Amino acid sequence: MDQTDILYLSLSLIIILIVFGTASSFGKGWSIIAVLLAFLALILILALNWVDFVIMPTFTKILGISFQPAKDYIIQKGQDSIIKNVNGLYYATGFVTGNLFSYTFKEEDVEANVEEKMTSAPENWERAVMSLGFPFKFHVIAVGKDVQKIRDELEGKRSYQEFQLSQALQNQKASSETAITEIKRKISVYQAKLDRISAGEKPIASIMYFETTAVGVSEKAANDALSIQIKQLQIAMSSLNLSIIRVVGRELYTLFKFNFGLPLTYEDLASEFSQEG
Amino acid sequence: MNQKIFVLLGFLAISFIFLSAALGLPSSILPSPIRILLLLFSLIFDVIAFASRRYAYIMLPIIKQHKRRVVLSDSEPYSLSGSEDAIIKMEKGEYTATVYISIPLYRSATEMSEMEKIDFSRQVSKLVGISSDPIRFTTEMYMMNKDAYIQTLRDAINIAETEEAEMMQSGKGAEKIEVVRGKLAMWRNILQNTALAQSMELISYVSISAYGGKEYEALSMAQQKAREAISGIGSTFGVTPSIITGKDILKFVEPEYLIPFSTVSEEIKKKTEEEVI
Repeated sequence: MDQTDILYLSLSLIIILIVFGTASSFGKGWSIIAVLLAFLALILILALNWVDFVIMPTFTKILGISFQPAKDYIIQKGQDSIIKNVNGLYYATGFVTGNLFSYTFKEEDVEANVEEKMTSAPENWERAVMSLGFPFKFHVIAVGKDVQKIRDELEGKRSYQEFQLSQALQNQKASSETAITEIKRKISVYQAKLDRISAGEKPIASIMYFETTAVGVSEKAANDALSIQIKQLQIAMSSLNLSIIRVVGRELYTLFKFNFGLPLTYEDLASEFSQEG
Repeated sequence: MNQKIFVLLGFLAISFIFLSAALGLPSSILPSPIRILLLLFSLIFDVIAFASRRYAYIMLPIIKQHKRRVVLSDSEPYSLSGSEDAIIKMEKGEYTATVYISIPLYRSATEMSEMEKIDFSRQVSKLVGISSDPIRFTTEMYMMNKDAYIQTLRDAINIAETEEAEMMQSGKGAEKIEVVRGKLAMWRNILQNTALAQSMELISYVSISAYGGKEYEALSMAQQKAREAISGIGSTFGVTPSIITGKDILKFVEPEYLIPFSTVSEEIKKKTEEEVI
């Protein structure tokens, strides 16, 4: 959650808190209904904060609302595909996440199997691509981060963990063996990242996703074909150990807009997504 | 951002007015069920206020238009620049120019040694970190445009059919008619096989955007960024990338260029014929 999220959440929760505090003024019996309504609103707000990609498409699906993001394009009511009608043929485009590199930066023992991964990556990729008989795009949006800033952050985090470790070692009776091992693991993760930066690797923020298009003689036919293609994509890319999730809701609209212009800065890019790479 | 804050405050203000009415007015003026109804409205506007954090772009058009097909924009999503080397998008009075750079890479993992595979993976890792501005790397697989070839085959079939009809009318020898019929069968078979077999093409490219108050500002900035990216890609892979111009850009932005019209219409015709039979 960023600062803007916190601002929105706290302002919205003020109304709910007022209702909880003044529910008794509605009179006997009615006060319980007032509390229940406030409780429902609270759940809805929290759900919108964490799983908005489920709630909003469901809402537009129930109400049958579709959107026209640009001339000749339609975002379906389920907000899972964008349709373009060209001379009576419908082209349905969908997006799926496909973060190829995320796991390497999260692993502790990065150097141990990095060569194995690097050797197998081009071959696995080619094999996966060859098995697909439909059009698709694999996009990587990358932004180079400020090396010095990242280095300072990592050194700060490592120093804090080292301090925690020295505290834990001084009070060995109070600290468990598991806690000490955990701190040591964190230190080695930060150290591995620092070593990679020292070796010349640039820290980057990245967003990776697939885009695929299917064609049909009706909107439904195009959408059905798209769903089949996305399943095939998931199967083909399973060898690359990717987490492939279909993009729905506002992020679909954002990725559609990226086809015609990219954001200017890292902040612009990060603000469009709930999670960043 | 400022506009979003006004939307939030607007909805919160409406929510607060309903809440004040529900809490402030005594039961003698407003019976409890109506006060609960006002409370419900207040909570609905509170939830809408929170949802405006991410969904202001659809909420305001939904409220204004009262339609099931909500128009977010009815203009073309982009236009080709005068120099035909970029696409231009205009949004909120600002121009965004996006330049596409082709990366001519024709290496296969099957032809690489273990060391070459590692080197290639390292080059790819290095490539994604070449820019401190957002940059998009794409691998695209699309159907080859066989429109011209299919049209040639159709013309040949038409000529052969006319030839056959003329021979039948003039009562020429059965042998000559058989020769023409054989030719006709050959062209038809070639057309059928061409339409049935999908020919795919793989291309890698980079897209990079820049903003400006005027079109030429955005364009020259994007071209400048593109030149920097070209030198980075060139030094990483040892190839000569080039800026894509003219109609070739369309296959990166328009879905119908991923799946060419006549290729796909021929396929759909064949599928429909098979289903009918």
